[in-house]
This record gives sequence, C-alpha cells and structure tokens, in this order.
Amino acid sequence: MFKKITTAWALHRRAAMIVALIVLIIYPFLFSNQYLVTVATLGGVYSILAMSLNLISGYMGITSLGHAAFWGVGAYTAALLSTKLGWPFLLTLLAACIVSLIFGVLLGLPTLRLSGRYLTIVTLAFCEIIKTVETNWRSLTNGASGIVGIPKPEIFGYTFSSPKQIYFMVLVLCAITYILISRLMDSRLGRGITAVRDDYIAAQAMGIKDSRYKIMAFVISAALAGVAGGFYAHYMSFISPLNFSFDYSTLILSMIIIGGLGNLTGSVIGALLLTILPEALRPIMEWRQVIYGALLVVVILCKPTGILGNVNLKHIRQRVLFDRKKENEGKKDEEGEVKA
Amino acid sequence: MSTPVLRTEKVTQRFGGLVAVNSVDMQVNKGEIVGIIGPNGAGKTTLFNCITGQYTPTEGKIYFHDKDITGMTPYEITELGMCRTFQNIKLFPHMTIMENAMVGAHTRIKENLWDVWFHTKAYKKAEKEAEERARKALELTGLTENPYYYGTDLPYGKQRRLEIARAIASDPEILMFDEPAAGMNEGETADLTGFIREIRDLGYTILLIEHDMRLVMNLCDRIYVLDHGNLIATGKPEEIKQNPLVIEAYLGKKA
Repeated sequence: MFKKITTAWALHRRAAMIVALIVLIIYPFLFSNQYLVTVATLGGVYSILAMSLNLISGYMGITSLGHAAFWGVGAYTAALLSTKLGWPFLLTLLAACIVSLIFGVLLGLPTLRLSGRYLTIVTLAFCEIIKTVETNWRSLTNGASGIVGIPKPEIFGYTFSSPKQIYFMVLVLCAITYILISRLMDSRLGRGITAVRDDYIAAQAMGIKDSRYKIMAFVISAALAGVAGGFYAHYMSFISPLNFSFDYSTLILSMIIIGGLGNLTGSVIGALLLTILPEALRPIMEWRQVIYGALLVVVILCKPTGILGNVNLKHIRQRVLFDRKKENEGKKDEEGEVKA
Repeated sequence: MSTPVLRTEKVTQRFGGLVAVNSVDMQVNKGEIVGIIGPNGAGKTTLFNCITGQYTPTEGKIYFHDKDITGMTPYEITELGMCRTFQNIKLFPHMTIMENAMVGAHTRIKENLWDVWFHTKAYKKAEKEAEERARKALELTGLTENPYYYGTDLPYGKQRRLEIARAIASDPEILMFDEPAAGMNEGETADLTGFIREIRDLGYTILLIEHDMRLVMNLCDRIYVLDHGNLIATGKPEEIKQNPLVIEAYLGKKA
C-alpha cells in the first residue's frame, strides 16, 4: 500500500507538486477565520526549521539538539538591528542569515573531532549557551523580558501586516528552502554529504574531503534557520529567550523524526502535524501531552524511520522507468522475432 | 625495467611498541599486477593503509611517480590517481548503484554551490560527465542490469564488482584491491581473476592483497611476501612458491 503510493507519487512528482502548490495558495482564501492562516504561518516557520535541520540530522546523520539556537541567533540579530539601528527588513534578514552562518561554522568545528552522542551533547550545550547569553546580556538583549516592537516585514515600502500577506511570505521562504536543499542533495555536493554519512572512510578513499562537507552542511542549515529566525522576529514583533529554548530544539527534532529523516516533504509533514496537533487539541487541554506522547510511540512502533524516512522519490522513479523501458524493449524484440 | 609508478622507501609503521610494518621497500611498475601476501597479521593491510593515506607511516617515504606522497590525506591521494577497495565491502547504502559509481567520479568533476542552486550549464555538464563515467565503469564491471537499485541489494560478488567500478570511475592510474576474493567461492574467484586481468589490459596498474593463493599465483606478475611486518621475499610467482622462507612463514619450521 505504502509502496504503491510512493511509486505513484514518484512517477507523477511534478503533478503532485503543482497540486500541493495550488492547495497552499488557495488555502488562506478558503477560510474567513484568520486564526487558521496564522497557524499555517507558524507551520511554515517550523517547516523551514525542520527542513534545514534535516540537512544536518537526516542527510548528514548528526543528531543535533541545538537547532533552536540558530533560530534564536537569527531572530535576535534581526530584532536588534531593526529596533536599535532601524535597518530595513531585507537587510536584517540577510544579516540574520550571515550571523547564523558564522555560528554554524562555530558549531560545525567540533564535528570534525567528535561523533555520535558526544557530538549531540555539544549541540545541546551550544543551545543552552546561546539561550543563557540571550537571557543574561541585559544591556543588549533586554534579558528575559525580551525585545518588543519589532516592525512588521516591509519590502520597498510595502508592509506585510495582514495574516494573508505574512502567510504568502513564509510560503515563498519555504519554497526557497525546499529548492535549495533538494537541489543541493541532487548534486555532487549532495552525494558527498550522503557518502560521508554512510561511510566516511570509504568517502575519503573516493576523494571526498569529509571535513568540508560536514562544515558545509552545518553552515547551510544554520543560515536557513537564521532566515527563519529573522522572519519570525518581524512576524511576531516580540521575541524572548524562551522562544528559542532547548524545548524547541527537541520539538524540531521530533518533527523530522516523525516526518522521516532524509526526506524534505516528510519534514514539512512532520512540522505541520506538530504545529496543527497542539492547536487542534486545545479543547482537551489536559490530554494534550498524553496524545502527543502516544502519537510519537505509535509512529516509532509502526514506522521506526518516520512517515517518509529514507524514501527517495528520484530513486524510485529512475528504477521504475528503467524497468519499463527494458520491458518495452523486450516486447519489441519479441515482436521482431515473430515477424522474422 | 620500466619506470616505477609507486615506490616505498623503508616504510615503517609502529603502533606503540608493535612494529606492524618494518622498513619495507617495494615498487610497482606501470601495467603490472603486483600482489602482497603473507599470513594473518603480517602487516599487509597496514602497508596498504600507509600507501593510501589512512595512516601516516612512522618512518620512510612513499613516492607516486616522483612525487612524495608520504602523509598526504586519502582524498589527496585519490585525486592524484590511486584508488582502493576495502576488505570488508564499503558501499554507500543510501545510494543507488549508479550513484555509488558516480561518487567515484567525485574528484573528476567540479561543481560549486552556485552551479548547484541555479542549475547552470556547468552543473548540467558536470552531472552528465559523472553519469557517463559511472556508466562506463558499470559496463566494464558487467553491472548492466537496472542501476537504480541500491548497491547493497546486490549479491555479494556483484557488490565487490561495484566497489571496483566505483574505484575505476575515479580514473586512477593504480587500482588497489584489499582482498578482492575474500568470501568468494571458486567460480566467483575464477571470474574475478579473468576480470582483473582484463582491466590490467586496459592500462591500469594493479596492486592487491590476497589470501587466495590460486588467484595470486595465477594473476600476479610479481609478489611481495610480508611476515611479522618484514619483507621476507619478493619475485615471480614460481620463485615465491619455492622460497623456503615463505614456506616456513606459512607452514612453520620442519621439526
């Protein structure tokens, strides 16, 4: 059943993509309820975070518990530059991207010496350090009370203030993230990343400089999370260190584990699921954590690799098409023989 | 004699107090098939790892043509034109057969982030070239069935061929095989012998470690014998077969 669905999807990938896009575009017009659009926007922010974490934890195979830190660095950079120096939105977004990128290099460096759970502990520590700095550097970050009054996103005099406008902005950012990561993985560089994850000794023997690929994965992932942070700061217009704590790192990690490591669509599905679910369960507040936990257990028991874990549509498509081509050729040969 | 492609000069590798490889001099000439044999623990794989850059030898020098490659990293050495396979097959499980072979072409194509993200002409050209190289290597190794299954789905003998294909795709001058016949039955070993000879005839120089004596004696032009890290004999297969030191190393002293 699952195999049939993925095969059909792989063969009609472009059609599926277009349908998904159309649904996403008409979505905000379907409901008069602005709340639903806002939830979707949050889902979009988490989708960007989940996809970028998937690059480190899924494709590169390094379990990171520090992703919320990059998000926070991006958000604080954008917030401070726009409230203190009055920088315009696009510039703060770029700065958020670059500053996070620099922190990506910093967290990428220990990956060259450590691996496995030791490295995971380092990412956890990184997350805590960033949060502690955000909380205690009062003169700059205003401590636990956070930064208020961050202006709404504005591009060339056009302000994105209504939920719908914001929704479309996050949709574009999601699409860009998706394209950047999927194109990256479908290239020489992506093969390098996969090779290092699968077997770094064999990768080195094939001429792959493993250290470079590890740093590259961290840098790109951090930069994308930084953009998500910068956008988030402008969109919420209020941020505090609590928004970027360790809890959120685990939340993002749960998203990609439920969605499936090594599949971008899975990350988006996981992100949307874990954004919508808590909202949907709001009426039965006390049971929320129970249901949440039960869902995780069910997914891990039924499909340990997550919903779309390691499903590679490109591979499925190539395989099926090759078999079909061969079959057709075989038929032609048979016909030829009959005629002869 | 023709010019040496690869030469080691008094290569020594110590692990603490253990001397795994002791002052080994050897050379591989162009177009030769050279074998390294020896009982278990003789230091064959260690010597191999020194040459391919996994280890930096404690003492001694290694030359590729006239270039000193001692202490270079594995990826630099692959880029120069030496590529290896592993004793315990090391394929990339999340990649198709085709992609495994395309990784072999990694050092021979160039793509940067810009090319990749904007699908420039350079990207398309490089991807095409990688695929072309991979396809050729797969055809050469007889892996012509559907190349879009996962490499680890192949039967054992073919996995080894895929590893060889991956190495060939890197366009090396010297191919280095670490026990290519390990775990193979007689039929498969015979196939492999013919196959290695074929690729030698295509112009590759081959250095291999092997336990299977029939394969070594049938295939190699010259053999180096290691025992406890020391080079105890070198020569043509017939000479090695009769060398009393070699017989002693393998079977022990006469009582």
